[in-house]
Amino acid sequence: MRALEAPAAAAAAAPAIAIAIDGLEADRGDRPVLRGLKLSVAAGEVYALLGANGAGKSTTLAALLGFLAPRAGSLAVCGRSPQAELNAVRRIVAYLPENVALYEHLSAVENVRYFLDLAGERRGADEIDAALAEVRLAADAARQRVGTYSKGMRQKTAIALALLRRAPVLLLDEPTTGLDPGATREFHRLLDALRGRGVAILMVTHDLLGAAELADRIGLLAGGRLTHEWCAAPGPARFDLAALHRGFAESTA
Amino acid sequence: MRRALVVAGGELRLLLRSRLAAIGLGALLALSAVAAWTSSAHVAREHATRAAHQAAVDRLFDDQPARHPHRVVHYGTYAHRPLGPLAAFDPGVDPYTGTTLYLEGHRQNVAAFGAARESSGLLRFGQLTPAFVLQTLAPLLLVFLGYASVARERESGGLRQLYSHGARAVDVLAGKALALGAVALAVALPAGIALVAAAASVPAEVPAALAVAAGHLLYLAAWVLAIAAISAFAGTARTALVALVAAWTVAVVVLPRVAAEYALRAEPLPSRVETDLRLQAELRELGDSHDANDPFFAEFRRRTLERYGVERIEDLPVNFRGLVSAEGETLTSRLFVEYAERLAAIQRAQRARVDAFAWATPALAVRRASMTAAGSDLENHLRFLAQAEAYRYDLIQRLNRLHADGVAYADDVQRSRDAAAERRTRVVASHWQQLPDFRFEPASPRERLAAARPALLALGGWVAALIGVLALAARRLERTA
Ligand SMILES: Nc1ncnc2c1ncn2[C@@H]1O[C@H](COP(=O)(O)OP(=O)(O)OP(=O)(O)O)[C@@H](O)[C@H]1O
Ligand SMILES: [Mg+2]
Repeated sequence: MRALEAPAAAAAAAPAIAIAIDGLEADRGDRPVLRGLKLSVAAGEVYALLGANGAGKSTTLAALLGFLAPRAGSLAVCGRSPQAELNAVRRIVAYLPENVALYEHLSAVENVRYFLDLAGERRGADEIDAALAEVRLAADAARQRVGTYSKGMRQKTAIALALLRRAPVLLLDEPTTGLDPGATREFHRLLDALRGRGVAILMVTHDLLGAAELADRIGLLAGGRLTHEWCAAPGPARFDLAALHRGFAESTA
Repeated sequence: MRRALVVAGGELRLLLRSRLAAIGLGALLALSAVAAWTSSAHVAREHATRAAHQAAVDRLFDDQPARHPHRVVHYGTYAHRPLGPLAAFDPGVDPYTGTTLYLEGHRQNVAAFGAARESSGLLRFGQLTPAFVLQTLAPLLLVFLGYASVARERESGGLRQLYSHGARAVDVLAGKALALGAVALAVALPAGIALVAAAASVPAEVPAALAVAAGHLLYLAAWVLAIAAISAFAGTARTALVALVAAWTVAVVVLPRVAAEYALRAEPLPSRVETDLRLQAELRELGDSHDANDPFFAEFRRRTLERYGVERIEDLPVNFRGLVSAEGETLTSRLFVEYAERLAAIQRAQRARVDAFAWATPALAVRRASMTAAGSDLENHLRFLAQAEAYRYDLIQRLNRLHADGVAYADDVQRSRDAAAERRTRVVASHWQQLPDFRFEPASPRERLAAARPALLALGGWVAALIGVLALAARRLERTA
């Protein structure tokens, strides 16, 4: 009896793998971009994916969302393949795109409600207001047309939308670009809270310091595969910043 | 479907909040309302004028004094082509074909334009009818409102956003098409009201009105589908706009004219002068019924005397002159009918050539379906000509019979020399009132529906084909994110 219980207990202790990428090869146009990428993100983990411009970070997220078909390798989100179960995967993933495309003629509230309607998620007006307040979008601004927004305000709107999806998996493509330091810190606090609730977060970023502050693991993408991967150490100095910089410099050289 | 409706709602909200779209939509709605109002007012006026004219000429005919029947043959009368109840929506060929025929003995006249038209002609600006607004202007407005609907999403990266929230390309395309379809319905509303108002007064016309409505709805649906598909296929909104304006120009402006020109060349219609000269020559060959010594009529006299078993014309129990007139009318009328049928056959052949282009542009299909179902097409005019000729023939032959039976031959011969004999040749005036009046019998709604069916089928074919194109566009769009 005890012998049978042991593996089950071990499985419960080790958090479930929410994102599993293995041997991923993908092309953009006829150019190979990813060549054997292996990466996994567990539930309740924040994984920061770094890499030079054009390294293939956004391409990785696109593959997870089924926007492009991989040439080889396997992909799974909560055990589901985007190729086989596209609708199911998109239901459990909230995605913050690199270029936030909101409707200019609608307010932040209306944009959020529109996309939630599309996803079939019912959220009350107070919930939407709370989410927009959490990302520090002023209540009066949230009712003005997005056409009048600054870049950061658009980014905040999109973040609020991603949070409101309440998805178990978050894919964030450079979420903090355009955010002021205060908003960035606030956003990291939100992600921390989500991590506590067991959400798996894969965050593409160029913000090394931010990643070092927040992430559980940091991966460096270069030449179509992970060249480095660092795990956060317990204690206040979570990552060796010098090592991170060195790794980054090597990969872009 | 739920997702498509959400996308449609978003697109409609965009259109409602866009000032340009609101102005365009408002302008077309106003134009459509003005077209519905002016067209129905014009048709009502025209209808009343023609009815009044017909009543007036009928009265003039009835009010003739006692006179010799052959004078009545030459006095003649008029036939007016009335407008059908749906002409207010689509007057069809009415403005281009004569509406009034002068009917007299021995002659077949060309339909002329009534007096009413000339008096109001200066006041009218082209043909602003509900059918014109829906067939020509509405697609252009839909193009301007819809060209960017999908291309915009592709350009802004909005497609990814839509997809990541669970929408598939099919949902996006269907939603955009639904929104544009709702706009099309709004645009068609004033015209639809005009159609309902026109049909409401004549319940029998309801099925025909439904066919007219169905034709236009299918036509607008075809445009909506084409706009969504081209917006999806085009790389940018600008490309989509250029392609769609080109498509409108070709489908609505160029092809109908090319089709008409081609039909005229493929099935040339002889000129009026040419026809008249040939007809005159053939009539001369028949002989002159007024000339008792004409060889043909000499033979007729021999046969008639033989039939009645008498030696002399004076001994016939009927007036020989009346018989001669009747015989002459039979012969000339046969020739008239033959000529008219030949011309009608050419016109129908031309129309068949144009009809074939319905598979090249839905604009021709909808035009054909609309005027055929509304009863304002070429067929209606040909029917009027045929009925007027039949009426003319019947009227003249009744007069000739009156001449043969009611006027003594001896008096007839003497009437230019003998006033008393002349008085005896006059037939009492009550006869003129007993002669039937001309009443045009238009094709029944059922017949018109049957005639409109091929054009409606062509429109259905267009919609089906464009749904296929949209499905193709969806498959391609699914792969672009
Ligand atoms: N739609 C596309 N069509 C063709 N090639 C593309 C497309 N998108 C990206 N690429 C190419 O794929 C490669 C990887 O692009 P990707 O956007 O994944 O890079 P990234 O790591 O996200 O870069 P960045 O930090 O600049 O966002 C680049 O070389 C880019 O030129
Ligand atoms: Mg990127």
